[in-house]
Amino acid sequence: MQLCKTSAFAVLTVVTLCLSTTVDSDIDNVSDEEDASRYLSGLSPVLLPAVDPLSSSHTLSAVVAQDLEINQTCRNLATIFHDRYIAYADCLVKSARPVGVCLNCFEGYALLSEIYANISNDKDGPGNCRDSLLRSDRLMLIYLLYGNLQNIWRNSACEHCVNTEQQAVKNQTLYFMNERNQSISCFDQYKQENHSDLCVKCKSKYESLNVLYGGMEKNGSLCIDIEDAMNVTRRLWSKNYNCIAPREGMIPVIAVSCFMLFLPIIFYLSSYLHSEQKKLKLIHPKRAKSNNSLMNIQDKFS
Amino acid sequence: MTKTLTMCDSSVVLVLFCMVVLQIKGSKLIWARKHWNPPHVAMKHLKPLKSSLDYDNSENQLFLEEERRMSYLGFRCLEISRWVVCGLIGFLTGLIACFIDIMVEQLTGLKYYVVKENIEKFTAGGGLSISLILWAVLNSAFVMVGAIIVAFFEPIAGGSGIPQIKCYLNGVKIPRVVRLKTLLVKVAGVICSVAGGLVVGKEGPMIHSGAVVAAGVSQGRSTSLKRDFKIFEYFRRDTEKRDFVSAGAAAGVSAAFGAPVGGVLFSLEEAASYWNQMLTWRIFFASMISTFTLNFFLSVYNKNPGELSNPGLINFGSFDRNFLLRNRLWVVISVFVLTCECGGPPGGLLGALFNALNYWLTIFRIRYIHRPCLQVMEAMLVAAVTATVSFIMIYFSNACQPLDVVQGEDYPLQLYCDDGEYNSMATTFFNRPEKSVQNLFHNPPGSYHPLTLGVFTITYFFLACWTYGLAVSAGVFIPSLLIGAAWGRLIGIMLPVFPLQIWADPGKYALIGAAAQLGGIVRMTLSLTVILIEATGNVTYGLPLMLVLMTAKIVGDYFEEGLYDIHIKLQSVPFVHSEAPPTSHWLTAREVMSSPVTSFNRVERVGTIVDLLSNTSTNHNGFPVVVSNANGEEPAKLCGLILRSQLIVLLKHKVFVELARSKLTRRKLQLKDFRDAYPRFPPIQSIHVSQDERECMMDLTEFMNPTPYTVPQVSARTHALVPHCFFFNILAFFFLGGWTGDSEGFGQIPPGRKLLPWTQVCINSTTITGCLVTRCPSFYSNIWVTQTPEKTAHFLRQSTKLYLLLKEKKKCFVAGQHE
Repeated sequence: MQLCKTSAFAVLTVVTLCLSTTVDSDIDNVSDEEDASRYLSGLSPVLLPAVDPLSSSHTLSAVVAQDLEINQTCRNLATIFHDRYIAYADCLVKSARPVGVCLNCFEGYALLSEIYANISNDKDGPGNCRDSLLRSDRLMLIYLLYGNLQNIWRNSACEHCVNTEQQAVKNQTLYFMNERNQSISCFDQYKQENHSDLCVKCKSKYESLNVLYGGMEKNGSLCIDIEDAMNVTRRLWSKNYNCIAPREGMIPVIAVSCFMLFLPIIFYLSSYLHSEQKKLKLIHPKRAKSNNSLMNIQDKFS
Repeated sequence: MTKTLTMCDSSVVLVLFCMVVLQIKGSKLIWARKHWNPPHVAMKHLKPLKSSLDYDNSENQLFLEEERRMSYLGFRCLEISRWVVCGLIGFLTGLIACFIDIMVEQLTGLKYYVVKENIEKFTAGGGLSISLILWAVLNSAFVMVGAIIVAFFEPIAGGSGIPQIKCYLNGVKIPRVVRLKTLLVKVAGVICSVAGGLVVGKEGPMIHSGAVVAAGVSQGRSTSLKRDFKIFEYFRRDTEKRDFVSAGAAAGVSAAFGAPVGGVLFSLEEAASYWNQMLTWRIFFASMISTFTLNFFLSVYNKNPGELSNPGLINFGSFDRNFLLRNRLWVVISVFVLTCECGGPPGGLLGALFNALNYWLTIFRIRYIHRPCLQVMEAMLVAAVTATVSFIMIYFSNACQPLDVVQGEDYPLQLYCDDGEYNSMATTFFNRPEKSVQNLFHNPPGSYHPLTLGVFTITYFFLACWTYGLAVSAGVFIPSLLIGAAWGRLIGIMLPVFPLQIWADPGKYALIGAAAQLGGIVRMTLSLTVILIEATGNVTYGLPLMLVLMTAKIVGDYFEEGLYDIHIKLQSVPFVHSEAPPTSHWLTAREVMSSPVTSFNRVERVGTIVDLLSNTSTNHNGFPVVVSNANGEEPAKLCGLILRSQLIVLLKHKVFVELARSKLTRRKLQLKDFRDAYPRFPPIQSIHVSQDERECMMDLTEFMNPTPYTVPQVSARTHALVPHCFFFNILAFFFLGGWTGDSEGFGQIPPGRKLLPWTQVCINSTTITGCLVTRCPSFYSNIWVTQTPEKTAHFLRQSTKLYLLLKEKKKCFVAGQHE
């Protein structure tokens, strides 16, 4: 399943990118804070508060001029976003292979989108966090980061497996995973022995899984987790254990084809032999007699 | 001195002659010169059924009266209604295209679904022969319906219809070609044949459909349905109708390929007999409306109203612009030109092979498979064999591709592939051909196995060749594109073997191959290039496409004519090409005309007229009207031309001199009476004339065209009449009774050829007429491009009169023209 592979790869790449940017920005923040604290300590070492980053940033914002524009609520929101983002991205990378981005990380995504919604809805509050966090510079990093993760979520079609409102995996998905695990355990059970034995023993389980998957494909309830699980199972079945239906009934197919291909030959032969040939109707116009000059020309040529 | 009026006998002798010359090739040429007998050689493929359009307005007294009555406002209204008609043509053509597309999609979808389910059911059990039979039967059933309606109800609707439309636009009226019934059969037929899995496209029939729509809409009535809306009555004559038909053909092309400019150029290229700027602009309007209508309704059908992404029935998809990889400009350009030039010859060769095979097959069909039931059987057999071949290829193919859930194939068939994969060969056959072409253009490298492509090319080539010419409505564009795209892609895959690879993407080679193959088969030039550019939606590909089409045409023409020309020839259509055959320049009118002439007196006995019209040996469509001298010694003088259709209307209304005297209150015959009878004039047999009436007299003065076109008689001087006629292919191809000099009148040049508009005035000065063309050809070519035909004719008449005045003062002829 090429797509699954590529999408998994895409997930990885995007996540890596996101992480690296996040980390970079974190480092920047940290160094800023350090600078600020050095500056503060230079002023008055006694006043230096030894507290958590939140309060320290609060203190800093009071002192550092360029931070004035960001108000405390927004700063709080940003910190929550930061935490949840890291948690979700972490989960994504961990579930990249075999793919479990929907079933493992849906909670993280819900939390992340909740805080993002909070930020983007906070436009009438005192600090107008939507504008100050999301729109105040050219890069719009938070918006970009969230957009990337949202894209991953969309591409993996997780809504099909997870009920986002109730924060739970859908029953159908659980059922499928259960069935699939049964097939895999069946494979595990017999894989030591002869593979043809496995093909016979696990066939019923595998086929019911196939049917289930086909049904889910039709009603559009597939997400990347299910697709990947199925792909792996199928690859095991047909490549590793080589349980493919053999070509049967080749003789009748060839016979019927030959018959079909001979029909036109018979048709054309019989119509050639039995059909009367259509005669062309000729028209014989009356002509003026050739004059001498024409005869001369003809003579020249002949 | 005996009366030496000569008269043509067949409908188109000049044309015949030209066909002879065209047929003579190589060694045959010498033979033909030795045994010079053009008519009989030429007659080989001619049937006397066709007549030509009356492109010349009959400027008789009725016409002049009507024109005199028309106000300035009236002309403005006419112009507006022309635009309205063109808009309607575009709209209806787009709707028809939309209907065909949706029906084909639904039916093929149904068929693929049934067959796929069946194959899946039998894959494991080994009963696939049943699936094969099911597929073949389904195909045959669809095709049977399509073939029955074509073979039994309207044979003219068979094939792509482009040859017929080409003939119509060039002035040859093939019976029933633009009737409503033809349209219905065409539309239903093409749906059936595409749904029946034949190797055909629905693009060519679209052009024919557009033409029929145009012919119907512009007349404001339907003769078949016996409904007359009493509108657009002015357009009920060949001149106007042909203009609208060219708009319809353009709208058809535009809807088929999403190529409005290509459509206009198609009409221009195929129908260059008469043209003017306003016509171009109107036709372009019709084309635009047509493609937009199709686009809009398809977007509604796809439940995406407003997303106008389907301008045509076929859509090549979008190509990226950077088709060259390396940066060193001169290397890139030289290799690129080389590649394009290399794309052409195989296209031309394969096209010529295709045409030659199809030519022999068609001759066989004409000779032996002429009964409708045999034709239906043949079509069904082809359908069954197509299904069988497709099945075999799918069955023995090992090309598997992983399934793509997000934007997957419509009907993926696993067959013997691993689970989670599908048979890529099956997708090619379980797709509409348009989609397959698109896939060949756009699928990423590695999607196709070279062997698959090779086998596909060969089988599709022969199947397409076998299919074209069956009694089903079907076009050849899509099969050609498919074949070409397949071998083009194959070349693209193989090229990395050589250090020539400058295009990374084999899909671009597929495009070049498709263009080469199509160009090699149909041999269109300008319009095809523009159509392809518009279909790719990328002007950047203009030059490669043009080079490829050019080389393909050059190579192909060396071996065999274009497919449409072959079929025009085989349908016995007296088609005149725009160029005179190269060896015909020494011929004179005398050698191609026939004698003696059949003519009427200005006041003629009704009995004579009826007899001449009924006589099968004088089945002309136009007759000269002459004034005989009292003593009968002098040859008769030409004074006008009267058409068969006019005579029939006159007979029907009993416009006899005696009756006019007796019934003074009788209504005067008007031009409307002629228009009401147009275009289906009753045959002469259906007109009853009593014995008494036979003795009446008919005065033709009022109705004849007093200024018919004539050619000079032939003397010993070198009058290269035939080249002249061809030269004026552009100006005039219509029914006319050519007439020669008054001193020793030779006869009627056969109807159905184009002659020199000015020669009628030059009756006494034939020598100078000859000079006129040879001296200032550019002058005339300016005229035909920039003036309306009517104006041209008029202008030429005026200028010749001017010449006659000037001649007395011994002034230069050319100088007179420039005034």
